[in-house]
Amino acid sequence: MNALIGNPQEDFLVLDEVKTHFDMGTTLLTRESKGVVKAVDGVSLTINKGEILGLVGESGCGKSTLSRTIMQLLRPTSGHIWLKGRELSAISDADIRSERINFQMIFQDPYASLNPRMTVLDTLGEAVRTRHPELKGDALRGRVAELLRTVGMNPFQMKRYPHEFSGGQRQRVAIARALAPEPELIIADEPVSALDVSIQSQILNLLKRLTRELGLTMIFISHDLSVVRYISDRIAVMYLGKIIELGDAEAIVDHPLHIYTKALMSAIPEPDPNAERNRHRIVLEGDPPSPMSPPDGCKFWPRSPVEHSEELKTVEPPLVEMQPGHWVSNCPFCVGTDHQA
Amino acid sequence: MPLLDVDDLTTYFHTRDGVVRAVDGVSFNLERGETLGIVGESGSGKSVTCYSLMRLIPEPPGRIERGTAMFDGRDLLQMSPKELRKVRGDKISMIFQDPMTSLNPYLRISTQLIEALQMHRDIDSKAALNKAIEALEEVGIPGASKRVFSYPHEFSGGMRQRVMIAMALITEPDLLIADEPTTALDVTVQAQIMEIIKQRQNDLGTAVILVTHDLGVVAGSCDKVLVMYGGREMESGSADQIFYRPRHPYTRALQKTIPSLQEKGQELFTIPGLPPDVSKPIHGCAFHPRCPYPKIGSPEGERPQLEDIEPGHCWAACGFCDSSAPIETVLAKADDHVAEPVDGDA
Repeated sequence: MNALIGNPQEDFLVLDEVKTHFDMGTTLLTRESKGVVKAVDGVSLTINKGEILGLVGESGCGKSTLSRTIMQLLRPTSGHIWLKGRELSAISDADIRSERINFQMIFQDPYASLNPRMTVLDTLGEAVRTRHPELKGDALRGRVAELLRTVGMNPFQMKRYPHEFSGGQRQRVAIARALAPEPELIIADEPVSALDVSIQSQILNLLKRLTRELGLTMIFISHDLSVVRYISDRIAVMYLGKIIELGDAEAIVDHPLHIYTKALMSAIPEPDPNAERNRHRIVLEGDPPSPMSPPDGCKFWPRSPVEHSEELKTVEPPLVEMQPGHWVSNCPFCVGTDHQA
Repeated sequence: MPLLDVDDLTTYFHTRDGVVRAVDGVSFNLERGETLGIVGESGSGKSVTCYSLMRLIPEPPGRIERGTAMFDGRDLLQMSPKELRKVRGDKISMIFQDPMTSLNPYLRISTQLIEALQMHRDIDSKAALNKAIEALEEVGIPGASKRVFSYPHEFSGGMRQRVMIAMALITEPDLLIADEPTTALDVTVQAQIMEIIKQRQNDLGTAVILVTHDLGVVAGSCDKVLVMYGGREMESGSADQIFYRPRHPYTRALQKTIPSLQEKGQELFTIPGLPPDVSKPIHGCAFHPRCPYPKIGSPEGERPQLEDIEPGHCWAACGFCDSSAPIETVLAKADDHVAEPVDGDA
């Protein structure tokens, strides 16, 4: 058994070779298959209680599909997901709704994720009652007020509608809604990328503080490594539906092993003109390949500045633990060679 | 004489709910081949500044209230529509944030690339097509002679933005205005696109106005920086001056709140409160309600005047707070602020 996959009965969240594929159907007349999009293509992962795992990658790498699969908004094509010993992927569609109070999600766009016709009290009250259906009246209002205070808002704002708030405040409401059913796992999908820079840091601090204070576990998805590094304990880098590097946040940022992680890092512009002038960038060629027809072998060879051998263009390198807790897709052309970042 | 000299540019929108002071007295200038970064959050007026220069403000409700924008000796703000059409797409080009919506999905790339050339140059279609292919090659599109006949949907986001750059630069303009050109793209693609803009700028000697909210992008590519907030200029100077010797509390605070790869702090600095609502008149300093520095004197009063600190570096000298100390000493580090509703927020 792969050591990436922990013990489903003991560990908090375990993913075992999760695959989520989308069948594109067949063409109208000839009935030929249009192909399969392998959005998530074999992800194994163990997340400990109280941990913040950062998930980074370019658009189309499957990070959002993976989060929706963990949420069971999409059912995995194959593989297993266990949360606290219960196999989520085996729970029927009818029962999954009631199970979802244990894991909640925060979306990117707080303009789209809140119902414009519901006041904050309605939105949060409904979410509270998924866990405590008996609460109503003053007790319910009290709980909503408490939630608003938790996310740094004023309880007197509970009678307002989403359009009366700014983007940052709406995101706070969305966070309060995710917290309302008292979940243990929160998945935050790009929660700050739609916000202004001066508001981002407020929300990041809030998320980090809440995770610690409430003992939550969080999967934090972003394409911005500097944000992910700030908030995460561990970071997983995804490329074409697979994890290609996984390790402690410090290790990934300070000593990345895979050339793709290095390239991602070197692409981040630093707010420092001198550093930028003297910077040596690994500029990747082109865009990520289509997940409909991913390359064989090392997924990265078509974009790598280092020429790969024929073998690695056909045989996929395994994920290997290079240092304790630091895993990398072990392609000799992507790992270990002297890529100057 | 600078290529572009903008003085006291002021654009208001007269809406049913009142006057929105989107750009309120902004001045800057730009030499040939230089890059100016305009930084600010949403609503700070940076895009409206660019649209005003291109005279793309919908009128009404918008109106350019006052100011001049001398471009190559002529005032852009006074030109007739006919004169403007000659300048737009020829001497001044623009790239927008979203390459998805700024290309016509029904037309081949070739048609769209050639349009500007045929409009502004006396050129036959064969020569124009060759020029278009050349332009695509220069922005690094492989197989340009074939790809030129593709439709926009056949390109990825990064490739489309390359096409936009090729299109904007095909007439070799003196000035390129890029409004958040990489915001919709991945970081890896962003690096490629910024590289191409820089390289083409060097080849052609084009001046660039780069609008962005990302200080990192500015640091990597701009000679000069203009920091905007609430439609006003807060501070401007060379990139080194703005990044290493920021003077305005907003510039300092903004730099401190960005998570950086280098810094290993546990908690991020935050600026309390929300950006200002420009549909209400702003008295005194626009940043005052959020300014972390100790207040001296009343916030009601005259708008801070721009004051030179060193050659080329000026700031909206605000006398309402004592901003002599380094920002670290005053910015809240630990607690998450209660977002108190600012006046007019509700």
